Amino acid sequence: MVDHKDRSTSLSRRAVLAGIGGAGLAAAAPAIRPASAQGQVTLRWWSPQNAPAQRAAYNFQIESFQQANPGVRVLYEPTSDEGYPAQLAAAFSSGQVPNLVTHLPSFAVSNYWQRGLLEAFNDVIQAVGPQNYYEGANRIYEITQGQYAGTGIGNSAANMMWLRKDLMQQAGVARAPETWDELRDAARRMQRGGIFGAPLPYARNSMTSLIFICFVHGAGGRIFTPDLQVDINNDAFRNALEFYRSMRELCPPGATNYSWGESLTAFVSGATATGIYTGRVLANVAAQNPRIADHVTCAPYPTVSKSVAPWTFNDFPSVMIPKGAANLEMTKRLAAHLFRADGYIRQLHAAPGHVLPVLRTISTNPAYLENDLIKKYSAEVDLMARSAAAGHNLGWETPRHRPNTKAGQIIASHAFAECVQRVVINGDNVATVISDTQRRLEEIMRS
Amino acid sequence: MSRLDRRYAWLGVLLIAPTVLIFCMVIVYPLVSAIYLSLFSIFTPTLTGHWVGFANYADLVGSHEFWRSLFNTALWTVLTLVLQIALGIAMALMLHQNMVFRSLARSLILFPYFVSTVVAVLVWRWLFNDLYGILNHLMLWAGMFSAPIDWLGTMPNALASIVLVGAWKYFPFVVIAVLARLQSIPEQLYEAATIDGAGAWSRFTDVTLPQLREVLLVVVLLRAIWDFKEFDLIYLLTGGGPVIATQTLPRMVYKAAFGLNQMGRAAAVAVSMMLVMLAFMVVYLRIASRREREGRA
Repeated sequence: MVDHKDRSTSLSRRAVLAGIGGAGLAAAAPAIRPASAQGQVTLRWWSPQNAPAQRAAYNFQIESFQQANPGVRVLYEPTSDEGYPAQLAAAFSSGQVPNLVTHLPSFAVSNYWQRGLLEAFNDVIQAVGPQNYYEGANRIYEITQGQYAGTGIGNSAANMMWLRKDLMQQAGVARAPETWDELRDAARRMQRGGIFGAPLPYARNSMTSLIFICFVHGAGGRIFTPDLQVDINNDAFRNALEFYRSMRELCPPGATNYSWGESLTAFVSGATATGIYTGRVLANVAAQNPRIADHVTCAPYPTVSKSVAPWTFNDFPSVMIPKGAANLEMTKRLAAHLFRADGYIRQLHAAPGHVLPVLRTISTNPAYLENDLIKKYSAEVDLMARSAAAGHNLGWETPRHRPNTKAGQIIASHAFAECVQRVVINGDNVATVISDTQRRLEEIMRS
Repeated sequence: MSRLDRRYAWLGVLLIAPTVLIFCMVIVYPLVSAIYLSLFSIFTPTLTGHWVGFANYADLVGSHEFWRSLFNTALWTVLTLVLQIALGIAMALMLHQNMVFRSLARSLILFPYFVSTVVAVLVWRWLFNDLYGILNHLMLWAGMFSAPIDWLGTMPNALASIVLVGAWKYFPFVVIAVLARLQSIPEQLYEAATIDGAGAWSRFTDVTLPQLREVLLVVVLLRAIWDFKEFDLIYLLTGGGPVIATQTLPRMVYKAAFGLNQMGRAAAVAVSMMLVMLAFMVVYLRIASRREREGRA
């Protein structure tokens, strides 16, 4: 009797559980079916450029693409300059890659391409029209002969020197500094009344590394020889370190924790007399501190002497397609769509001068030129465009250099930022620091 | 064994199987994976690599960065834990008293623990800001300093700042645990101590603290484990800087895995972390149980 009762209870419970399970599965089945199975294609787009105005421009591009391609849904997912290496590493290792990644520096593209992690971009460049690009705009992406790892979505001049003409006048600084001595002198004269001379970064982050590399080139040096041997144990690197250290007293105390955002805000808010940034300064000043809008201008960042030409850091904001991305043909179509004039111009206008056009057809397009900030600061925008066009970065230091596919790892290792911090903050011996940094760079290049 | 016993034995195995399976999935598999990965040189994005045996561990033993990060981790854990315990007990004692708005105060005190780390860090970074932060403004206004203080970029300020924020963020956990125990201490113990002439301090040291010993044992154990592997708070506040002065082992794991794409090395650091923590816990529990035995004797 007991056995029978138990068995019947057990069976009954099992039946109920099976019933619930079956019903649950049946109910959930339509919800968990992949989007593509419903005739819906979802494309994921990542970018570290996420200012509200830029997001609005992306939304316009997404909507126009979705209208032109019914059944396709584009999902925008923000990443960040500091966070993308980790996020992409996780995406690649899990096989959950986004379809399209934009605005990463070109050296990230070359790094992933070298490891076989990207789709070739030739089709997209053909769809955009190679003749529409500036001469040589895609050269940096031709890591393998005849195959493009990605393409540029813009140019940037990330180390422009921003100046306050009103403060210069008050301090008796007649013209924009061209050499380091002039810069230090001007910053010292303008540093008063709670305003600091410059917002140079001294933190342990990528901005410090990237900006310091500009100073090494400004000293007439380089990080690698054209065949990618480490080349920092020399006077140029030492001079750059010494000058960077000498500028510390002219920067806010918290510059030891500055990244791009803090450095930009320091200048825009009026806390520093000079700035170091892209043309995003223009939009931010107009929106956040219009009081100084008529006094702002920019110039190439000074170098050690007039005989050393300025070296512009252009991170060559890119577009790339990770290998294994689903719906490849549709993804390529989306990549090409980003260059359609109406959407592309909106994207560029979201931060005028910050991302500069890579298509010459856009630079001369009246719709692009019809922008209040571009019109007001035409001299500055022209200067940035010229500087960016001649710009380089650690992935491609000069036209003679081979593409450095380890540049991303070097920046992520914080080798340069730590080198700066050891000398400037800890007061370590310069020769020892340079020797340690050289060893670290060589290890990364060997890895 | 009778047929019924065998059936009961099988039923037991069957009933415990899901637990064992889940345990293997969420504990054993990741643990074995981490140990396995640490024996390879692996490129993170592709998870491809080659066998290197114990080379990753040998590298760590000879690495100044590893030892410094281990020291930083231990220092951070001890300092922030001591502060959390002291603050937590003090606050719990206060909230145990009859006071106006006691319920409201008890609710509000939990706020730092419930707020997300990212939000908490953003607020603190704003407070610490050299140009706009209220902390520097107040200090300059009070004439304590003539120039703003760099709270997060230089030592020892950076360490003091992360310890302070860590203690602020996590001390409510101590408050919850201690307050719960305080409410269950028999009132007669205090009455007897008072009759024996014990003052407030004596009642605290001779009655309250011994009664809190067991709960503090658990709290210290849990918080030490959680603080030892703290990542987000330190990463967001100082990034491990200046240089590697506040870099803890979890930050080193992150850098190796995703900055340098060396998953094998990262796994070796993670396994080393686990071993250090295990050793610490074994020693701690042994000391605690010995003291408990001595206390009973």
